[in-house]
Amino acid sequence: MKKWSDNVMWRWLLSFFRPGKGPRINLGRRNVLTAGALGVGAACLCRVHPQASGRVFNPALIRPPGAVDEQEFLSRCIRCGECMKVCPTNAIQPAGLEAGIKGMWTPVLNMNVGYCEFDCTLCGQVCPTDAIRELPLEEKQKIKIGQSFVDKNRCLPYASARPCIVCEEHCPTPTKAIWVEEIEVTNASGQKVLVQQPHVDPELCVGCGICQNKCPIKDQSGIYVTSVGETRNSENQMLL
Amino acid sequence: MARSTRKVSAIVWLRRCIQTLCLLLFFYLFLQTAYHPINRTGGPVALFFELDPLVLAATWLAGAPVPLTLLFSLGTLGVSIFFGRWFCGWVCPLGTLHQMMTHVRGGSTASRLNRAVYSPRQRWKYLVLIGLLAGTLTGLNLIGWVDPFSLLYRSLATAIFPAFNSGSHALFAWLYESDPGLGSMRVTRVSEPVYEVLRRYLLVEGRPQYYWGILIGLVFGGILALNLWRHRFWCRYICPLGALLGLAGKNPLLRLKKDQEACNDCRLCVAVCPAGANPDGPSDRSDAWKPAECFFCWNCESVCPKQAISFEFAVPSREHS
Amino acid sequence: MTDLSRRVFLKQVALAGAGLQAGLLSPGLASASTAPKMSIAKYRTSPAESEGVAEEAARLTRQVIKDLGGMSRFVSKGDVVWVKPNIAWDRTPEQAGNTNPDVVATVIRMCYEAGAKQVMVGDNPCNAAERTYPNSRIQPAAEKAGARVVQLDKRKFKKMALNGKALKDWEMYTDMMEVDTFINVPIAKHHGLAGATLGMKNLMGVCGGSRNRFHQDLTNVLPDLAAFVKPKLIILDGIRVLPVNGPRGGNLDDVKRKDTMVAGVDQVAIDAFGATLLGMEPKKIAHIVEAANRGLGTMDYTSLSPAESLV
Repeated sequence: MKKWSDNVMWRWLLSFFRPGKGPRINLGRRNVLTAGALGVGAACLCRVHPQASGRVFNPALIRPPGAVDEQEFLSRCIRCGECMKVCPTNAIQPAGLEAGIKGMWTPVLNMNVGYCEFDCTLCGQVCPTDAIRELPLEEKQKIKIGQSFVDKNRCLPYASARPCIVCEEHCPTPTKAIWVEEIEVTNASGQKVLVQQPHVDPELCVGCGICQNKCPIKDQSGIYVTSVGETRNSENQMLL
Repeated sequence: MARSTRKVSAIVWLRRCIQTLCLLLFFYLFLQTAYHPINRTGGPVALFFELDPLVLAATWLAGAPVPLTLLFSLGTLGVSIFFGRWFCGWVCPLGTLHQMMTHVRGGSTASRLNRAVYSPRQRWKYLVLIGLLAGTLTGLNLIGWVDPFSLLYRSLATAIFPAFNSGSHALFAWLYESDPGLGSMRVTRVSEPVYEVLRRYLLVEGRPQYYWGILIGLVFGGILALNLWRHRFWCRYICPLGALLGLAGKNPLLRLKKDQEACNDCRLCVAVCPAGANPDGPSDRSDAWKPAECFFCWNCESVCPKQAISFEFAVPSREHS
Repeated sequence: MTDLSRRVFLKQVALAGAGLQAGLLSPGLASASTAPKMSIAKYRTSPAESEGVAEEAARLTRQVIKDLGGMSRFVSKGDVVWVKPNIAWDRTPEQAGNTNPDVVATVIRMCYEAGAKQVMVGDNPCNAAERTYPNSRIQPAAEKAGARVVQLDKRKFKKMALNGKALKDWEMYTDMMEVDTFINVPIAKHHGLAGATLGMKNLMGVCGGSRNRFHQDLTNVLPDLAAFVKPKLIILDGIRVLPVNGPRGGNLDDVKRKDTMVAGVDQVAIDAFGATLLGMEPKKIAHIVEAANRGLGTMDYTSLSPAESLV
C-alpha cells in the first residue's frame, strides 16, 4: 500500500525545505556581488546629470499627457514602445539623450513629426506600468504638456508681412489659445498691408503642438512647443 | 544530416502550434494597438506585459504603485515553480523567433552540438538580472532595455513594422506608377486588390517613422543573428526574464528522467536542445540535466533513438538515476 | 443689409410660392439655355436637433436640385461621379464644421437615381481622415446611400498645371479631376483669414502638398482653384452654419440654424449668397471679388433669378 508520504507532490513540496542533491545554480558569490555593485554604481552615477534632481529642465523633454513626474516616470517606464505604436500622429518618439542616458528610448513628443491629438487618450490606455496614466478625455484636455511660443523672427506675419494664421486655425482648445492681432505693416514693396499676427495665451495653451506641426515653415517652425508649464512638474513652470 | 528518422513526437508538434499561436497573438495585439474609429484600441494590447513577472518585479522594486493587471504575471511565476521555464519553451514570442532563427542554420549533428552544448557562461543572465534589480532598487530602472517583451515590441514598433509598412507602400506605389504588364494584362489588376486587402488589415496609411529606429532595428537583428553562433543565445546568456523564471523553476515537479542503460551516447538530444540544459547528463552529478535552464520543449525525448529520455513528476533524490 | 436681403428674399418667396411647381422648374420645359443657374430652398420650420434635421436635409436637397431641373441635368446614365463634401474637421454634424451628412447622402441617392454608374465620396481633410470621416457621420451616411467612400490614396496626387495667378502648378487628386461629374458640396462657415469658407475654399480638398502655404495669398489661390476644378454643380449646405469661430468651430453656441440650401452652376454667385447667410457682405470677401473680376461668375446672385422654394 502506498504511503501518503510517498506521494510525489508531497515529497516535492518537502524538497524545497530540505536542501537536497541535484544541480544548483552556482553563480559564485564574487560574481553576484559584482553584478549588484555594478547595478548600484550605475544608479549612483546617473545622479550626476543636472537633470537628475530637477535643477535643470530640457525644453525638448515633452512627455505624453498623463505621464507621472519625471523621476517616477523613469522608474516606471519599461521602454516597451506601446505608446509609440498607438500614437495616431506618430508624435511619440524614442528619446535620445533628452532625459539623460538613463531615459534613452523612453517616450518623448516630437512636434515636428506629429502632435498630441486633442481628443485622444490612447497612450494612457496602453501603458502597461501606468508610467502614462489612463485619463478620462475631459481630464486629459486640461493637462498641459508644454507651452508654445511664437518665433517672431520666422513667423510670416511678423517677419515678412505675409498673411498666414494656420496655427490659429488649428488650435484645438475650446477657447483658442492662439489669438491674432490685426496690425498694419509695411511689406517688401513698401505697401501698407494688414496682417494677423499670432500670440499665445499661456493660460489656455496645453502644448499639444499642432501649431508647430502645421506651420508652413517646414524646417524650423515659426511657433514651437517647449516643456515649460507641464502640469506634472511643479518646478518646470513659468507663470505666477 | 545524421538525423533520426523517427517521427517527431506529438508533444513537440503541440508545442510548435502553441508557440506559433502565441507569436501570432503577439503580432495581432501589436497590430491592434492603434486607433479604431473610437478612442480605444482593439483589445488587451498589453497582454504579454501583464503576464511578464519581470515587469511586475521592476515596477514593484522601483517603488511605484503596481497596476493590478500586472498581477496576472504571478500566474506565470506560479506555473514556473511546477514546470520550470515552460514559458520560454512554449509561450515567449521572442523565444520562438530565436528558435526559428536557430533552425535557419542546419548542419551535421557534430556542428550543431558545438552550438547547442551547455556553457557555464549561461550563468551570465542571472548576473544581468541581479544587476538590473539592484539598479532598480536604487533608482535606476533599466529593465525595460533588456526585458524580452519590451525588446521585441520596441523593435517591432520603431523598426520592423515601419520598415515593412513603408516598404510595402513603396512597392505598390512603384507598381502603380510604372504599371508593368503585357498588353491588357497589367500587374496592377492583381496588385491593386491585394493592396486594398493589405491596407485594410495590415498596413497603416500614416507611414510611422521613428528616430533611433535604425539602431533599434540593427540591435534586434544582431541579437537574432547571434542564434547562428549559439542556439537561442539571448535566452541562454542574457534574458533576465529567463533568469527569473529559471530561479523560480529550479526545482520543478516535472523532471527529465534518463534511462542510463538504454542511452548509447549519440548526443542527439544535446544537439537539438535549445536551452543548453544538458539532457544527456547523468542525473546525480554536477553535469546532470539542468532544470533551471530546461524549456521543457520535449525535443530531447522526441529525438532520442533509444527512447532513453522521458519526463515525469518526480523529486530530485539520491535514488534517482 | 442682412435684414434687407432677408425681407427681399421672403417677398420673392411669397410671390413665387404659388407658381413653384410649374413654369421654369418642370424638367420638360427646361432647356439648357433657360434652365435656372441657381436655386434656393428654405425650410418653413427649424426642427429640433437633431432628429428632424435629417429629414429637413433630405427634403431641402431634393428641392434645390429639382428646382435646377433635376440631377439628370448634371449626371448622365453611366457617369462616374465624385461628391466632394467638406470632411475637413474632427467635428460632429451638430457642430457645423463639416457638411451635413444627410445632405451628402441625398445627393448620392439622387446621382444613382439619375443613372450614375458609381458615386465616390472623399475629401483631403485637415484633421486625420480616420477621425473626420466617421465623426462627421458622412462616412456611414454615404456608405448607406451606396457610395464608395474613399480615404485619399497618396499615390494619386499628381502635379497639374493650374496656370493661375498664385498657383502655377499644384498636386491635385487625379480621381477627383478625372470623373465625369464633380459635385462640390460645401458648408457655410466663417474663416479667420478668408472671411468665409464656402464653395471655392472647399476646393482646397482636391489639393495635396503643403496647402498650409495657400494662406499667404488666399485671394488669388481660391479663384485659381475654382477656375481649374470647375465643378459641374455646387450645393451649399446652409442648414447649420458657423458665422463665427470658423473654420474649426467646436462650440455649439457658435452654430446658427439658417435652414437654407442653395445650389447652382455659378461658383461666385453661390459663394456670394452663402456669405449673406453668414451675415457678411460678399464684396468684403476678397476671394469672391477676385473671382468675379476674373469672370468666373457673378457676385450679384439676384441677377441670375434664382428659383426659390419654401419647403
